[in-house]
Amino acid sequence: MFERFTRGARDVVEGAVGHAERAGDADVTPEHLLLALLDAEGTKAAYACAALGVTDRRDAVTAALAEARRRGGVSEADEGALAGLGIDVGAIVSRVEEAHGEGALERTRTKRRRFTGHRSFARESKEVLEQSLRVAIGRGDRSIGDEHLLLALTVRPGVVRDVLAAHGASYDEVVRVLGTS
Amino acid sequence: MTEATDLAERAGDRDPRIGLRAVAALRRLLERLESVQVRSARNQGWSWQEIAAELGVSRQAVHKKYGRQ
Repeated sequence: MFERFTRGARDVVEGAVGHAERAGDADVTPEHLLLALLDAEGTKAAYACAALGVTDRRDAVTAALAEARRRGGVSEADEGALAGLGIDVGAIVSRVEEAHGEGALERTRTKRRRFTGHRSFARESKEVLEQSLRVAIGRGDRSIGDEHLLLALTVRPGVVRDVLAAHGASYDEVVRVLGTS
Repeated sequence: MTEATDLAERAGDRDPRIGLRAVAALRRLLERLESVQVRSARNQGWSWQEIAAELGVSRQAVHKKYGRQ
């Protein structure tokens, strides 16, 4: 599959590893893929993110990702759905943090120094890469570019899809600005 | 928060997407809560056997999941 990745898509994958390393995270997650996509310049994904105003709101996107992480992987949209069941996620997070410290619900970061040199892709990230291939095939494209990675992130359920949608980059919107080419 | 509020209101509409989203989110939150509690119990000197008994699962299951952290 990787031989079909364009230079831009490879840069995103490598950039995601860099984001994971700098954050001290054990795995490369879809969040890291999104952060790497926002670093892109001169690519189709960069064009789409700029056209939808996501690039300009990079700080807000980063903050939303951090907040969802702090809440144990619960996005703002998830929080609303759970509120419909009478579950107050904010209250749960506050109480857990009171008892176990700030950030207690975040996924644990790597403590094993021997893993600092090499990071593996989380299952969710592998699914994003597989999804990007399906998206490319579905659009009739022969190679996988970073725009297919962006589209894959808007398709796969999870925090990244929710954060992108909340900042104007739903699947439909990304498809619209990319056109049919 | 407007999006969250809208979703909360729509949850009463029996929209499966909202219900399923809530279940998936709750599952993620549950995993994180379990991890926090297991770590806390270990820090307080609980054995894997004691933790497993409280969670209602086998000692092997708990150890396999959290033993290396």
